[in-house]
Amino acid sequence: MSGDSLPLALPLSRFATGTCEVTDLYRELREPLLRYLVCLGLSRDEAQDVVQDAFLSLHRHLASGGSQENIRGWVFRVAHNRARNCQGSYHRRFGEPLDLEVDAQLDETTPERVVLEREKFRRLGKAIALLSESERECLLLRAGGLRYREISEVLGMATSTVGDTIERAVRKLAEKCDV
Amino acid sequence: MCNHSGKLMAWLDRELGSDEMVELERHIDACSECRSRLESYKQASATFDTYCDAVASAKTHRERVPCWVPVLTTTAAVAIAATLVFVLLRARVEPPTLPPAIRVQAPPPAAVVENVPAPSKPVQRHRPAAPAAAQIANWQPTARAIQISIPAESMFPPGAIPRGVNFTADLSIAADGSAEQIRLRPRLNKVERRQP
Repeated sequence: MSGDSLPLALPLSRFATGTCEVTDLYRELREPLLRYLVCLGLSRDEAQDVVQDAFLSLHRHLASGGSQENIRGWVFRVAHNRARNCQGSYHRRFGEPLDLEVDAQLDETTPERVVLEREKFRRLGKAIALLSESERECLLLRAGGLRYREISEVLGMATSTVGDTIERAVRKLAEKCDV
Repeated sequence: MCNHSGKLMAWLDRELGSDEMVELERHIDACSECRSRLESYKQASATFDTYCDAVASAKTHRERVPCWVPVLTTTAAVAIAATLVFVLLRARVEPPTLPPAIRVQAPPPAAVVENVPAPSKPVQRHRPAAPAAAQIANWQPTARAIQISIPAESMFPPGAIPRGVNFTADLSIAADGSAEQIRLRPRLNKVERRQP
């Protein structure tokens, strides 16, 4: 009897460990992923669908014994590719400029402060629209907390190129926004 | 432009090797141009993060409150208010229909003495009484009913009822001991009228 139950124990324990890892990663990455996808142009509902699909894929990946190296970059890459497909299926241009009408969300106390912040966001929105697609994606992934190596995994470019792209993008923003 | 300026963001993000980090840190301490550039990079980066948060928050806020929600809410509020007004007006127009048993209890005092023998019939209202209510109103006490004498002073203020008039309650008891039906009728103290 004990010999019969032994083979079942190994896959079950590995499955349980994978579930815990996926759950921890989900807690850590859900909000940054949603923010990244929404800033790419997806709606909130579409972004939530993409995140759910990405973590389902991660669960299958870990359950089938897939590599656990650079797992954050792996999740972002899957979500990024699904977002591209989603954008294509909806016939939308990928990486459209970030929404400029964000002033309603400003929670400032004085009217002068609100005006200044609004003006700063307006200039920044215009500057972001002038960035190239890779520059914008690099900045968004960096804002999501990814390291350069993880960004290179997501976008399929060299790590040194990621560093140069981020430096160039931030310099453009600083010059255009005069900050 | 300074030769080291191309690695300022990598230094800020701690993406360089330890040797390069130390070397660039020394350079930044000595180079005012790189310090100034680094400061503007920090501000641009922080503003970009804030902007992304605002975009995500704005999209979420807009999607959570669709444009048709305020219209639907207003329509529902108007419909509820109209229903309330209709119900209140209808309640005022229609006279309150007392239960038949209570109507039997309160005949005019003067007429009570004259009409004591006649069993009072319920007044026909706008709405026909429900079958159960009509049955209660037309109820006649049987032999098993209990008669209870009630002095008029215990129910009415002094002077409201002519002297010598009291009341008798015919009460039937249900199987569980509770009062099943009751009829209140006036009677004279000295001359007891015959039962109809």
